[in-house]
Amino acid sequence: MTLHMTKTQKVLRFMGNNTVPILFLIICAFGIPLSGYSANYLVSEVIVRIARNSFLIVSLLIPILAGMGLNFGMTLGAMAGQIGLIFISDWGIAGIPGMLLAMIISTPISIILGWWCGKILNMAKGREMVTSYIIGFFMNGIYQMIVLYGMGAIIPIRSNALVLPRGYGIRNTVNLIGIRKSLDNLLTVRLFGIPIPLVTFAVIALLCLFVLWFKKTKLGQDMRAVGQDMEVARAAGIRVEHTRIISIIISTVFAGYGMILYLQNIGTLNTYNSHMQIGMFSVAALLVGGATVAKANIRNVFLGVILFHLMFIVSPMAGKNLIGQAQLGEYFRVFVSYGVITISLVLYEVRKKRDRGLAGLVLAAEQEETV
Amino acid sequence: MKLNLTRTFLIRTAAIALILVFSVFLFFIGKQHTVLVDNKTVTVNGVEVKALQLVEVQVNSLDSLELAARDRDKFDVTGQKHKVTVIYTDANWEEHTIVRTFKVPLMQDMVMILLPALVANPEGEQSLWLENYELPTYAMTAPAEEPVVTDDLAVLVEI
Repeated sequence: MTLHMTKTQKVLRFMGNNTVPILFLIICAFGIPLSGYSANYLVSEVIVRIARNSFLIVSLLIPILAGMGLNFGMTLGAMAGQIGLIFISDWGIAGIPGMLLAMIISTPISIILGWWCGKILNMAKGREMVTSYIIGFFMNGIYQMIVLYGMGAIIPIRSNALVLPRGYGIRNTVNLIGIRKSLDNLLTVRLFGIPIPLVTFAVIALLCLFVLWFKKTKLGQDMRAVGQDMEVARAAGIRVEHTRIISIIISTVFAGYGMILYLQNIGTLNTYNSHMQIGMFSVAALLVGGATVAKANIRNVFLGVILFHLMFIVSPMAGKNLIGQAQLGEYFRVFVSYGVITISLVLYEVRKKRDRGLAGLVLAAEQEETV
Repeated sequence: MKLNLTRTFLIRTAAIALILVFSVFLFFIGKQHTVLVDNKTVTVNGVEVKALQLVEVQVNSLDSLELAARDRDKFDVTGQKHKVTVIYTDANWEEHTIVRTFKVPLMQDMVMILLPALVANPEGEQSLWLENYELPTYAMTAPAEEPVVTDDLAVLVEI
């Protein structure tokens, strides 16, 4: 038995379920004409950002499937990816072999960090998001200790371009000229003058197919069951803790690969900051795409990247044209990226309460019918 | 401790070994080297060989470079085996083309091809015209000290 809803109620419900994407659509609809950018420019910029960010955002999907919320611990994977990139820069490995080698180096680091993060998250069930967020900060300290004091002193680094003048520690920025755009430029086609990096898109498509396939596997079904109700899953014989750890490991490994793809596009590694920013922006983009803490799919990833980055592109120029200061647009986009996470989390809780209320109404209606 | 050689264990070990072998392969094919091409008068086996007036050099299929006497330029290459093509005209205005392959030592970042030596010994050993090159210490400018910013909130401490 279901409650019958009027058309208005359905529309309101749809809007309620998609508040954040609608909000962003409105912002972009106002921002685009104000920015004065041409459609061609906007499309080419959005394509670059889809190629750059999608892999990282897709890596967030599996922990959501397992009911662990948004994995802010993806920064751990990003750190692993960065360590791989530092090593290949030091060894002078360029191009696709360099990228692949960085991925291979990052994999065991990501697995260990993911396993450790998963273990901790199992001790903090129900508070996974805030715990993984703080784990990111904690691990950042260890990463800094290794990179700032270990590399060059204990871990051999030969290149003077990487090591700080004092003889140990990695510089603030590492030039990734050897692998810069090596994947993006492998095969590029131009559509209406807009370059499309086909190989990068193929890699992202492969990851999406993997996620879709993974959801249908036994492990994927187990994760779904764990995500819906841990106690029921445990009663059904699923190793709940083990399944949750695997979901975090997969996410961390993919985040490491995603970071390598992201940085090959940028061409410069910001040694001590890149990984911290990327976690927040990936989560924000996924939420902008209409995902929630408990539900996300591939459509949310791409819608999120498009809307979130469209706002990133247009807001400085829109701010400049509107008020005469580009800086205002910059403030706006920082404010919005953090604000959207807050709005999404609040809306998720509101929606959860509303759904619980609706379920109560359905139950009451059913009981009335029986009587 | 007894080692349990199950099928799964063996497959996992083989997979790790395969990945390690693949990593070594990537290291070999992806290692970047700088090949300097130098057109200066050199002494080979006690004989002075004059620089060429004008020479065109190409390494692999990269864009070719034209060098006048006393010029030096560079190519960035990956992998160890490469081909160098040198095109020059002699005193009788006859054009000659020399094509040689050479191998760069794996851990050597820079090598230098001495073009006059290569032209004088087109069939000679690689060691006659290719030498390892280390950047002289005076050429490495002392890098400026840079503050490492690891905490965005550190600025609050100073307020």
